[in-house]
Amino acid sequence: MRRKKTVGDIILDIMVLLTMLLVLIATLYPFLNSLALSFNNADDTTRGGITIWPRIFTTRNYELIFANSKIYKAYSITVLRTLIGTVVGLLFTATLAFGLSRRNLRGRKFYTYFCLIPMYFSGGLIPTYFLIRSLNLLNNFWVYILPNLVNLWNMLLMRAYFKSVPDALEESARIDGANYFTIFYRIILPVSMPIVATICLYIGVFHWNSWFDAAMFISSQQLKPMQTVLISIISEAKFAEQIASAAAGASVDVGSIGRGKVVNVRSITMATMIVTIIPIVIVYPFLQRYFIKGIMIGSIKG
Amino acid sequence: MTANMERMISLAEIVKAEAPRGKSSYPRRKKFSQWDLQLLVIPSVIFVLIFSYLPMYGIAMSFQEFRLGDFPGMSQWVGLKQFGALFRDPNFLTVLRNTVVISLLKMLVNFPLPIVFAVFINELRQKTVKKFMQTISYLPHFISWVVAARLMFDFFSADGGAVNQVLMTLGMINSPIAFFNRGEYYWGLAVGTDLWKELGWNSIIFIASIASIDIEMYEAADIDGATRLEKIWYITIASIRPTIVLLLIFTVGGLLNANFDQSMMLTGQMGNAMLRGYADIIDTYVYRVGIQQARFSFAAAAGLFKAVINFALLLGANWLANKLDESALL
Repeated sequence: MRRKKTVGDIILDIMVLLTMLLVLIATLYPFLNSLALSFNNADDTTRGGITIWPRIFTTRNYELIFANSKIYKAYSITVLRTLIGTVVGLLFTATLAFGLSRRNLRGRKFYTYFCLIPMYFSGGLIPTYFLIRSLNLLNNFWVYILPNLVNLWNMLLMRAYFKSVPDALEESARIDGANYFTIFYRIILPVSMPIVATICLYIGVFHWNSWFDAAMFISSQQLKPMQTVLISIISEAKFAEQIASAAAGASVDVGSIGRGKVVNVRSITMATMIVTIIPIVIVYPFLQRYFIKGIMIGSIKG
Repeated sequence: MTANMERMISLAEIVKAEAPRGKSSYPRRKKFSQWDLQLLVIPSVIFVLIFSYLPMYGIAMSFQEFRLGDFPGMSQWVGLKQFGALFRDPNFLTVLRNTVVISLLKMLVNFPLPIVFAVFINELRQKTVKKFMQTISYLPHFISWVVAARLMFDFFSADGGAVNQVLMTLGMINSPIAFFNRGEYYWGLAVGTDLWKELGWNSIIFIASIASIDIEMYEAADIDGATRLEKIWYITIASIRPTIVLLLIFTVGGLLNANFDQSMMLTGQMGNAMLRGYADIIDTYVYRVGIQQARFSFAAAAGLFKAVINFALLLGANWLANKLDESALL
């Protein structure tokens, strides 16, 4: 049933094409540019003009950061909190979601409203700070984990998914004498891998990208995560940049000295940034169909 | 449903059918004894109690005058004094203005565009291109604002940044603009960078909704001689109207939030004095005044004000949706 192409059709096609090109370029360019800069010789970067390909290839920037113990420490803190936080978060979120998905749960209505209210209303930053302080979680690694055990939005997504699992599975397990622990762990969970994958991604990304809780609650440098290190490197670069642009009008010599310093910091910044985003960038495409399904279930049927 | 699930279900049905009747071979359960189910749920509930409900006493703090050494929530009651001070504080009024402007702009621009993008994605014919564009489009969502801000600084940089290069090549400007140093540009930058970061992610739900539209409707429209544009408006967009309304309600209910992370990172944690007057939003204000200046009760009042207004907006939007006979949240 092929109609002839009208003018409107062609215009639409052009608009679609232009939009896709724009999105493609605007999205990818900053990343490719940073990647190129991270692999480019620091002094050469001074001359400017690097777009998406390094001019003088070098791995020196990465060698420099991998030799830095501050970065190692921060990276291991980030990895540790992501791993622990994801596993524990998944556990607490899934068990709650599972319970709320069972129609025969005693007190189900109460539990449900109990979980719904904090989604719209919270005490705010100040009381949370006081709570953390009184729980002795200040300057403590566990402040990364404990306050984040259950995210109620995630919990709702999981509940919707668990609800969609056919009753026959649970019933036959009960006939065999299984208790709810077994039902949860051996029956429902294995069958719910899509939503588990989705929530793991969500929690994982949250922990990986977290910087504010470190800024608010942690003062010890030993416990700071990668994002915080990135912030301090970036602000060093900004500071040097401001010195450079202030001097740029004065004379060529002063300008290039300033710019040399800027660029060295800039190359390091780029390398650190790439190292920070690589794990997530690599992982997320593989989990795509899971989180797309997750969003669908949570919003349409939730 | 996954193949795995289907296999388990058929197995389960067989087992259920084979179960011996009459003489029950499974342990008798007292009618309401579900200690195991409760045990699965209770630890998480306790957690929610501690970390979501306990801080709610902070509401009390907004009506009190907290002094150092007081037990939080047990200070002297001063009624609406904090709120009075709040509305008389010129800083707060600026902050309120910024928050409302930024959020409204984001709603105006960043809410419809993902819908348009979703429709365009749907118009693509090759599946691989479709998937590829989608995957690329939500790449920026997965990075933190720490990284995103840095990328955007470079993108808009006056020193070789892509935007300035393009504008100069097109002859639209003569010398580079230092975008992030001009306060008046901040609102546009906030909206633009937020669009860059979240366009793809926000379009997912629309793309998923569109995918579930019945193809027959398009075929029927073809028979009636509809143009592509007409099909897009009367079928695609009309079909996802419930989703659009639902998301609009959520967006309105978050109007006074305006993204703390973004604001902090784009201004170098409020270090950039030129941007502060435009970038300070309620959340950053609460952080500065509450934590850094230790005016706890005052900041708590600001926070409560925000939460109450947001909730009222949510209820209002929901009521309006119901009134207009649309699908709503509650």
